[in-house]
Amino acid sequence: MGSINRRTKPLESAISVLLLAILLFIGLAVFAKQFKYDMSRFGIEQAPAHYPSHRPQVVPNHELDLTSLNPENFQPLSKTEVYGHHNLYEKINGKASLYLDSGFTKLLTRRFISKDDENLWAELFVYDMAAPRNAFSVYTVQRRVDAVPLGIADPNYAYRTANALYFVNARYYIELVGSAESQPLLAAMVKISDNLRKRLPVNNLTDIADSTLFPPENIVPGSIKLYLTNAFGFQDLTDTFTAKYKLPNETVTAFISRQPDSLKAATVAQSYYNFLIENGGTTKQASNEALHGRIIDFYDTTEIIVPAGPFVAGIHEAQNQNSAEDLALTLLNRLNEAAKAKTDDRAKRQTVR
Amino acid sequence: MKIVLVRQISQCFFFLMFGWFCVVSTLGDKFWQLRAWPVNWFLQLDPLAALATILTTHTLYGPLLWALATVILTIVFGRFFCGWVCPFGSIHHFVGYLANRKSPTSQNLRLNKYRKAQSIKYFVLVFFLAMAAFPSIAATLQTGLLDPIPLVTRSFNLLLLPILDRPLTLVSVTDRFYEGAWLIFAVFATAVLLNLVIPRFFCRFICPLGALLAILGRFAIWQIGKTQPRCSDCGLCQTHCQGACEPAAAIRSSECLLCFNCRQDCPDQLIAYQTTPSLAGRITDPDISRRGFVLSLLTGIFATPALRLANKLGPNYQPTLIRPPGALPEEQFLKRCIKCGQCIRVCPTNVIQPAGIDKGLECLWTPALNNRIGSSACQLNCVACGQVCPTAAIRPITLAEKLGNGPFTTAGPIKLGTAFIDQNRCLPWAMDKPCIVCQENCPLSPKAIYTREYFSTIRDAVFTVKKATQTTLQAAKANFSLDKFATGDYYCAVDGSSPKKIIANTQDSIEISHDQRFREIPAAGSKMEIQIRLQRPFIDIEKCIGCGICEHECPVSGRKAVAVSAEGETRSAESRLLLQS
Amino acid sequence: MTEQKDKPFDRRRLLTRTGKAAFSIAAASAVSYLAYDDKPPLPGSAAQKLVTLPDFSLPHLPGQTISIVEGPNRTKTVNKAIELLGGIKRFVQPGETVVIKPNIAFASSPILGATTHPQLVAEIVRLCLKTARAKRVYVIDNPINDPASGFMLSGISKAATAAGAKIVLPNNHLFRHTTLTGGRLIKNWPVFFAPLEKAHKLIGVAPVKDHHRSGASMTMKNWYGLLGGRRNIFHQDINTIIAELAMMVRPTLVILDGTEVMMTNGPTGGSLSDLRRADTLIASCDQVAADSFGSSFLNLNVSDLPYLAKAQKAGAGTTDYQSLKPKFAAVD
Repeated sequence: MGSINRRTKPLESAISVLLLAILLFIGLAVFAKQFKYDMSRFGIEQAPAHYPSHRPQVVPNHELDLTSLNPENFQPLSKTEVYGHHNLYEKINGKASLYLDSGFTKLLTRRFISKDDENLWAELFVYDMAAPRNAFSVYTVQRRVDAVPLGIADPNYAYRTANALYFVNARYYIELVGSAESQPLLAAMVKISDNLRKRLPVNNLTDIADSTLFPPENIVPGSIKLYLTNAFGFQDLTDTFTAKYKLPNETVTAFISRQPDSLKAATVAQSYYNFLIENGGTTKQASNEALHGRIIDFYDTTEIIVPAGPFVAGIHEAQNQNSAEDLALTLLNRLNEAAKAKTDDRAKRQTVR
Repeated sequence: MKIVLVRQISQCFFFLMFGWFCVVSTLGDKFWQLRAWPVNWFLQLDPLAALATILTTHTLYGPLLWALATVILTIVFGRFFCGWVCPFGSIHHFVGYLANRKSPTSQNLRLNKYRKAQSIKYFVLVFFLAMAAFPSIAATLQTGLLDPIPLVTRSFNLLLLPILDRPLTLVSVTDRFYEGAWLIFAVFATAVLLNLVIPRFFCRFICPLGALLAILGRFAIWQIGKTQPRCSDCGLCQTHCQGACEPAAAIRSSECLLCFNCRQDCPDQLIAYQTTPSLAGRITDPDISRRGFVLSLLTGIFATPALRLANKLGPNYQPTLIRPPGALPEEQFLKRCIKCGQCIRVCPTNVIQPAGIDKGLECLWTPALNNRIGSSACQLNCVACGQVCPTAAIRPITLAEKLGNGPFTTAGPIKLGTAFIDQNRCLPWAMDKPCIVCQENCPLSPKAIYTREYFSTIRDAVFTVKKATQTTLQAAKANFSLDKFATGDYYCAVDGSSPKKIIANTQDSIEISHDQRFREIPAAGSKMEIQIRLQRPFIDIEKCIGCGICEHECPVSGRKAVAVSAEGETRSAESRLLLQS
Repeated sequence: MTEQKDKPFDRRRLLTRTGKAAFSIAAASAVSYLAYDDKPPLPGSAAQKLVTLPDFSLPHLPGQTISIVEGPNRTKTVNKAIELLGGIKRFVQPGETVVIKPNIAFASSPILGATTHPQLVAEIVRLCLKTARAKRVYVIDNPINDPASGFMLSGISKAATAAGAKIVLPNNHLFRHTTLTGGRLIKNWPVFFAPLEKAHKLIGVAPVKDHHRSGASMTMKNWYGLLGGRRNIFHQDINTIIAELAMMVRPTLVILDGTEVMMTNGPTGGSLSDLRRADTLIASCDQVAADSFGSSFLNLNVSDLPYLAKAQKAGAGTTDYQSLKPKFAAVD
């Protein structure tokens, strides 16, 4: 730069060194800063190179309390474990999808063991299903074939098998599974369930009141099930209660599906009818006028589908058409009465007003 | 060690650091990617950005507090930022040096003498600040057009980097594209090439930041000056003067960039950086004429309302202007965006683009989404743009807020706009072709695009059944090409019954799926129609967040058959579409 | 070149100038001659040199073509599944280069199941490098979403690199044009060829996913990620393109991951509730058989997925997986 050669003064050199030191400091500070990064700030979920399995968390205090449920001769074997959507599979594997599809929010589990015999232990599963309807659905859909009434509660909402208790209470579905078939263990499990029941909300059954619309004659006790969606493999059959009936030569299934209004009910009934026809069903003559055009022969079984007010009702897989038609009419009458009672009720209230 | 050498080291240091920050602005966690590199540091040190946002918003956004450091140092030492730090200034310095390194001293002296026109930069500053300062009329932040830090950030990131990186693919694997980069190029190239006319042309005549620093530095405690009132008047001190501040005479200290070349060049060592004023006298005040000041102020005050006459903030808003997620309502946005392009640079999919003049003069180089240009549209799991915005024109949102999760469940996800299907262009809607690429790629669960099945009788495909079995139909007067209908998408409906899937065809007969065989064999003479099964897409307007992935993937590649427009964007009440949300 | 005025004009200078002029004319003529083309350009883009994908498949061993292993842990199931087919050493020889093609279509988190699980990719990389002593393993895909983001967010970049593989992101210069013999759709179409060109073995690894247009996305649909260009237009004839992909790509081995199955909202998913655990993993030398078995995870039949029959007809494999005598096992 064509500069004139001259000696640098010591002060200038000192300032120069100071300035270079500042630059060095800035450089180091910037370098140090970049190490402290958190990519999640940018919305990037950092996926670890290795995937440790999710461990259940220890229960926070405000959850449903599962401590000191055990009778005298039993003691807790584990702390309460909590499972959510992401790790329910770890606890119950393939069964999880049923719960996840039915409004599952969380599962609390805890194990208890006998003080006298270490082979006797039980595990308590409390599924919080968000609504009584959901809880009732998972309870009924899974009901074991070897179910016997529990005897301590309404048989529609509780049963036991050789080594386990199952019941539904408000929005909770509860299982208590024992390690062995043993009288003392069963007694302890009943005790645990009684203690637990006291901590649960009062059983709110209005959500599942439609199940009372099934005619009580010939019904198989404890056979009522609730399918939230996709009953009989048909997508639009939502909120469907089914019940088994013992008819002279066979057991058939009757169903009631509540729809938002009667128009929608008629549409769903028709589309289910078409669905069966498309899949190989054929129309069948009804012996009763009220069921005309509502009966399908589906690979040698009889299917009846009738809209009734806001409901779609019917009979599934019957062998004998006549007895099926009779049952369908009984069911239909009952539904119409219920609808009428409701209308009367409303009319009465309006008159009063 | 000579101070000039230290200045050169400092310029190189900051220039390289700036360049490095541009390179590492790629989203990722490798050391040459974003991590926590302070890539906004130069923008944060910029007092013009800080001052202008204070004027428009009456607040100083946290990270911009760095500008205070620049302000304090400038008040004490003068315009060190221009001569020692500013990366754009260093480019001008270097290019000016290259252009004149062999010029005779006489020419250098002529080039580096003070010019009256150097006061233009003050008028530029006043003009922009006036646009920003009068919220009672309308306020807009336009300093970014010429503020050197956003200008050079934008030019490096959106112009030089994509061009240089294309053959190398070191910074980005997929090629990066920027719409309207030609204008960024035009401004950058002009500013750089003007150094061939006069060195540091931009700094001396145009730079509004330099003007601001000049005003701040007028009371600087240390200043360059002569240590004796008289000298040999050789004038050599002005040979390499960067600021054209005339150190030989009464120095114009507001123009001085502290390059220290005069001190180096003086053969008699009569120039020093000192607390005592120059003994040859000095002019500390910038050369701003009252008339020029008033005119630029008035022009500035009128400019914004003039821009706003188009009513682009009202009902005449631009439906094609899609802002990044978290962007403020347009009026607030324009008060904060400094057009630095950091959001555009960091966007992993390249969907954010610098808006061109077509989006309105006020929006020039502000971020706007173009779903056709990049490697994808707005990525669901990404909020990088807001995180790098130096002024929070795009708020630094979390992923939970963007997606409407956790505490934001009631607020719902942030919508950028709404996708609309153009039924006149969509393959299943207009052309009897199956497609639904849009539905498939919708990243939401449940998807915002759903389909309805529709069986469409294809052109000239109604025939009379000649002969039939349970699974085959022979048509009269047909001439099909072999297995044309065997793609799995074609069906056959006989006499209006429900369509049955075709699995093979010969010249005049078709075979239907054996699962769907006829229960009653169709009679000869029945009508048979060849139909194609279409899944026609529909937008669920309550779910769509306007991410634009459907638009990006739509195979109708020119004018897309599904495209996002601004209706329904969360940030604006003006474009609301739904009754409740 | 400035001529001096004072110098007299002489013959020598005239000759020099004439020589230069003659050279200039010759040069101009030569350029014209060399560049001369008497035909107008042909329509369409410049012809590309076409390539053919190598055949990576191995001779079938009876009873060791497909294995089905149940279990929740992918690391264990994939080891068992490959072991049942004769172990990784049957498929990969020491010193070979292996390409692994996972499904990284979307930039989404691995827990959502829209992409191949990183743990599975890492384990296959490890098997190739450590057990079979392969020289190099490349992990490749051409995602639908932004490629760099897809590799990063799916966790595959990190997991595969940690296991010793090299990631190859799609870039235009890695693609070559190919035409499938006997194909109707894949004609002069760009494929992700460069990493495959020098590879000895190819392993496809795909999850089972719902797919609205085609019914299901499994190992055959996974090859879509080798296509470049505007591949979305193939959705107009999805069954044919999937069948042609199976004809074009002859892998050494495919792994179909049904540990978690995307039942609904596919192929992007986006919610845990779209997934169902089936805890099953399939290893197969026959991709058609693997997908035919896999269709049952989605409650579909072979006839619900027309591309399976098409691929079988084209000789890419068999839909009758039972005929291959699958080996079954379960690991915890």
